[in-house]
Amino acid sequence: MKVTKDPESVLVTYSLGSCIGVAIWDRVAHVGGMLHYMLPESLLDQAKAQSNPFMFADTGIPALFKAAYGLGAKKQHMKVIVVGGAQVLDQQGFFDIGKRNHMAVRKIFWKNNVMIDYENVGGNTNRTLKLMVRDGKTWLKVPGQGVKEI
Amino acid sequence: MMDIQKIIQGINHLKPIPEVANQVMLLAQGPEICMSKMAEIITYDQILTANLLKTCNLAFFSMPKKIDSVHQAIVLMGIERVVELVWMSGGAENLRKKQDGYDLGEGDLWRYSVSSALIARELAETKRLENPHLIFTATLLKDIGKVVLSQHVADSFHKINFLVSKRGYSFREAEKLVIGIDHAEVGAAAAEKWGFSPKMVELIRNHHLPEDSSNIDTDTSIVYLADTLCMMIGVGVGSDGLAYRFRRDVVDHLGFSDRDIQKVMAGFGEKLRKVEDLLHAS
Repeated sequence: MKVTKDPESVLVTYSLGSCIGVAIWDRVAHVGGMLHYMLPESLLDQAKAQSNPFMFADTGIPALFKAAYGLGAKKQHMKVIVVGGAQVLDQQGFFDIGKRNHMAVRKIFWKNNVMIDYENVGGNTNRTLKLMVRDGKTWLKVPGQGVKEI
Repeated sequence: MMDIQKIIQGINHLKPIPEVANQVMLLAQGPEICMSKMAEIITYDQILTANLLKTCNLAFFSMPKKIDSVHQAIVLMGIERVVELVWMSGGAENLRKKQDGYDLGEGDLWRYSVSSALIARELAETKRLENPHLIFTATLLKDIGKVVLSQHVADSFHKINFLVSKRGYSFREAEKLVIGIDHAEVGAAAAEKWGFSPKMVELIRNHHLPEDSSNIDTDTSIVYLADTLCMMIGVGVGSDGLAYRFRRDVVDHLGFSDRDIQKVMAGFGEKLRKVEDLLHAS
């Protein structure tokens, strides 16, 4: 996870498979943040959640927002982007981490009144997300499909 | 459909895995393992020895003291780890290059190969399998066929991608239909040509599991599951993405619960930074 208001910073999270990337950008305070989490619930391993809270949705997402608020960001000024959560073919609900990762962020955002501005999740492609802190411009790369601004 | 024999001839353009790798694997699997014999074989190859010593001393392995001889590496790290490092050194050159057909940048396929091999070893050790270093090595080299097939995939990418995105084919099935051979089969052909053991050839050939396969052995299941987990974690994944089939029966047969699997993912996630050091040194 990284949160910054350095206008020269470019935040990137590479190769999201079933993981989820959350990018936030405050259009007033010009604060940008990016989180790449792997699993939905920290209950799986409390020790790992302590040493690396960004691995889990329920510890990583609050930490991302808290860090952004600490730099002056406000929820109502934020652009919020969610990508990733892909699945292997034929998973049919079993061990479907991608789907559960997606449900975890939706649930946390719903509880906290956070609106998602752009979402690109599911399917079986992997994704790379890039955010320019200077102006909040964001790009999504899907191998084999090129890069698009979102 | 293309000329399969011509495609397979592309194996000749790969850098062969050094013979010393086969020799140390045979020694490690023999009834009596002779450490000094293994050290002697490795030391003959100066580049391999230098790579091995550099890698042994990385933070990844957390050794209590600096290792400065092959013999010391074998004593302190164990024969299995040394065998794995010898094969990593042998496979690095082919797997490091960018593969345009799969939209993999320089280092991506290597990152994927090493990561899935580390996951496979952990799964093998959890199941107390006899040959975790064989499973590590087969997983490390399972995608060597992509290096040969990359240009053919690039030439036919739109057809392959159409079958995957619009017709529900897995990427491997689409490769087979469009090109006439898939990357797992090409990898097995390379393994045969280089004189790998029949077991390793079969592990490479079956790492995505043939559709009609039943009674899949545990070693193959572990390689398959490690590959699946690695594509889910998303380390060095290309345009084939996660477009491979999930086989619940195989995971059930191994006896791993959903929680077990998530723990393996979390454990690997925690090591990712150290893995990057390993990738750059080997």
